[in-house]
Amino acid sequence: MTTLELDEVHTYYGESHILQGLSLSVEAGEIVALVGRNGVGKTTTLRTALGLTPPREGTVRFDGEDVTGMEPHEIAARGMGWVPEERRVFSHLTVEENLRVAAHSAADPSAQIAEAYELFPALDRFSDKGAGDLSGGQQQMLAIARGMVGDNDLLLVDEPSEGLAPQIVEDVVEALRAASADTTMVLVEQNFRLAMDLADRFYLVDHGVVVEAGETAGVTSEDERIRRYLTA
Amino acid sequence: MSLAPLAGAAPQIASLVDPGALLATGGAVDGLRTAARVLAEGIGKGAVYFTIAVGLTLVFGLMGVLNFAHGAVAMVGAYLGGLVLVLVVGANTGTLATILVFFVALALVFAVTTAAGSAMEVALIRPIYDRTPTYQILLTFGVSLIIEEVARIVLTLRGIQPNPQWQAPMGTAPDVLLGRTELFGVGVRRLYLFEVAIGALVAVAVWAFLTKTLYGLYIRAGSEDTEMVQALGIDVRQAFTVVFGVGTGLAAVGGVLLMWDPIWGPSVLLSIDVLLYAFVVVIIGGLGSFTGTLVAAGIVGIADSVTTWLFTTGIVTFPGLSEVTIFLLLVVMLIIRPQGLYGVEEVGGH
Amino acid sequence: MIVGFALYPLAYEALLATPAAPFAEAFLPAITFMVVVLYTGLFAMSFDFISGYTGYLSFGHAAFYGTGAYFVVLAANGQVPGIPGGTPFMITLLLGAVVAGLLALVIGSVSFRLTGVYFAMITLGFAQVIYELIRSWGYVSTNPTEGATVSGDALAIGVPYVDALSLDVGRLTGESVENLLGLGIDLSTTVVSYYALGIVVVGCYFAMQRILHSPFGRVMIAIRENEERARAVGYPTYRFKLAAFAISGFFGAVAGGVFAAYSRSVAPDGTFYFLVTADALITTIIGGFGTLAGPVFGTLFTQGLEDVLSTESGGVATLLREGLPANVLEADLFGVSLELFVNTAVDGRAPLYLGIIFVLFVLFVPNGILGTLRDRLGGTVGKRLPDYLRRYRR
Repeated sequence: MTTLELDEVHTYYGESHILQGLSLSVEAGEIVALVGRNGVGKTTTLRTALGLTPPREGTVRFDGEDVTGMEPHEIAARGMGWVPEERRVFSHLTVEENLRVAAHSAADPSAQIAEAYELFPALDRFSDKGAGDLSGGQQQMLAIARGMVGDNDLLLVDEPSEGLAPQIVEDVVEALRAASADTTMVLVEQNFRLAMDLADRFYLVDHGVVVEAGETAGVTSEDERIRRYLTA
Repeated sequence: MSLAPLAGAAPQIASLVDPGALLATGGAVDGLRTAARVLAEGIGKGAVYFTIAVGLTLVFGLMGVLNFAHGAVAMVGAYLGGLVLVLVVGANTGTLATILVFFVALALVFAVTTAAGSAMEVALIRPIYDRTPTYQILLTFGVSLIIEEVARIVLTLRGIQPNPQWQAPMGTAPDVLLGRTELFGVGVRRLYLFEVAIGALVAVAVWAFLTKTLYGLYIRAGSEDTEMVQALGIDVRQAFTVVFGVGTGLAAVGGVLLMWDPIWGPSVLLSIDVLLYAFVVVIIGGLGSFTGTLVAAGIVGIADSVTTWLFTTGIVTFPGLSEVTIFLLLVVMLIIRPQGLYGVEEVGGH
Repeated sequence: MIVGFALYPLAYEALLATPAAPFAEAFLPAITFMVVVLYTGLFAMSFDFISGYTGYLSFGHAAFYGTGAYFVVLAANGQVPGIPGGTPFMITLLLGAVVAGLLALVIGSVSFRLTGVYFAMITLGFAQVIYELIRSWGYVSTNPTEGATVSGDALAIGVPYVDALSLDVGRLTGESVENLLGLGIDLSTTVVSYYALGIVVVGCYFAMQRILHSPFGRVMIAIRENEERARAVGYPTYRFKLAAFAISGFFGAVAGGVFAAYSRSVAPDGTFYFLVTADALITTIIGGFGTLAGPVFGTLFTQGLEDVLSTESGGVATLLREGLPANVLEADLFGVSLELFVNTAVDGRAPLYLGIIFVLFVLFVPNGILGTLRDRLGGTVGKRLPDYLRRYRR
């Protein structure tokens, strides 16, 4: 079953035409990576799916339902989670409160939060700590956990490894792998090798359209059809 | 910073000060007593400042909208509360009954203005969220002009002077509040104690709303990152409507509290007075910070009471001293810590 | 536009001699009001200069207006140290404006540490403190809350020390001109003042326009559009903002100065008070934010409304009271007679209707009269058009 489908979407920031007829589809249970240079529209693709930057043309379907033009909170409430760039945890709230904001729509919020703690034991230890006091890696865990609670079927993950030390990145990758057991995932990642490692399939984006797509197995950045889009 | 009512109230304040306490400023023990009294009065004034400012900070914290109509609503609150008291309280009404009526008026005014504030958010502010903050200032400022003018017309039609204060509701204050209570060896005006009680009540209610309810959680999260909250499936617009309503209601509650206070009292000039003082408190505390507002209100209250004391004892003869001092506090704060005591928001981030 | 202003007094006088006089009196602004349009319009332009072009709302702008007005009056009374009593008005006007410019530098050096709403609030705070100080400053006069009055001769606009090229202004003390240039036209004191003030205002308008069209003005607009980018490109935006603020304060004070010369008295409530800024703000929004000339249209509009709603010179209330039959006037409306209602809800109630119009403009015509007009007539103001379109879409 198709979880997310973007069909010929055109998205603008003011007058800048960012997505120029981008199409992609994500099947239930898989991890799909969006790769490409900076500024080609990967983050915008995620924002378009969630309705944060609604498309001017084209359609967005989520779990078979046309969600184009819906408010972000309506789309999110249908089970789409977001792990934004730079994490954006609520630094004045405790870890527990961060999760409670996200779990509001779940049938049993406490059970959801308990599940998240099981997945990320480090968060359990700091549940009463202010999120702003956590380390970068811990904040990334929290952001992932926050994106998952609330009975979400799809997780949009934006640059999870950005600004983290290599060992911490490994922890985050493990966390994402663990999370993917329960949910479908769209991953935007600068680190090409990491993206290929985690994902089942990839879309290569350039100038607001998909230029290459396929299985990740065996694909390296040295591949000629990939390389010319990744180097400046 | 204040206008006619404060300047005009100067002799009034003087007559309120216990001459005995003033004459005794020489002795060390008496000096201590005076200090205690000034401090106690400062806390009383601080409670008032907190009550008039807390709604403003709540609204700004979540929505980034600086409500220039805040003072106008407080003014309306003072008149509406006064109206209830004048209608219900007669010469024979007992003290307890009067205070009960006061609380009924408080609840009623809060309910009415909260509803009105929510309606205003939906009808007027919602259409302009996507514009620069300048337009939100302009819009709420325009609304305050309209409220003020309508108030003037209604009052004039009813034969009440818009300025100075409407005396009738001030006269309903029970005698017991006009006296003094011995506290730590000094006579403190009971009205201040009453104001502290109400201020504490408002503070606890707002604090509980923010920390104990799911809505409060959304508001605290939304104050940091509205878009993120939205992306977690929460209807932020609805939260905006509720918070703007509550903020407006709190402004009116502040107004009701001012109704019995001889320094303030129901007058059309409350509109700008309340606005300016609320601004000062909220900036010193840090826009959007509840704790900051509480602390700043205390600081401003004490500064006010110290400078008022300096003026009434004749040490300083400049009647605008307390307004100027309070404002200087603001300027100093802006120079050394522009985001305020508890502000973390990037300055001008909104 | 300028020609229209120049011909208006003659047209107005002519109309009053026709049978349409009662309606003209009720609905057309009298010349005294047109004089008000001149100095309040100039003040609103100075407000627009900083607020409309850099995007920083100067909520305490009344401080500069008040400084200009008080300086002129105090100087005329010989109360400013170092300036002898008889110093020509044109010189004291200029000095007062320079003082206000310096004041703007002081206020601005603190306030420009902040942006957005903070800036609006802190400038408002400064102005209110100055207002408070002026109200209780015994040096000004024996009753400072009531302000001060020029005790000496009329103040003249023109070339200093050249009597033939100077005109005394003031409603009662001004000069009148009989048989102008042998054309058989007599000009009353008010009309002479109107023209004399008009010259100053037009001069200031062109000066500000010159600045806005210079590279300096383009940096101001760049700051409004995107301050970070302007800084990134290498402009010291803080200094530009300070300079713009000082210029704006300078012209604001000129407006206050000519007001003082005309009215010959100043009071804190009419100069330093917050509502003085509010008036400029309202007229600027109605006329067109960031258009410079727009505020004058806005002032014309608001003063016109005030004139129509006031009884001082005709007006709707008078018309209603005189035109409606007695039984209608005494009709009962929620226990209040219609006459009383007219007296309180129409007469002198312009601020209410202005408030409503203002809110409607903010909501539906954010670019104001002139801004919208320029949008519509894209071709004639092509140079400015791209700017406006960009703002409109945002």
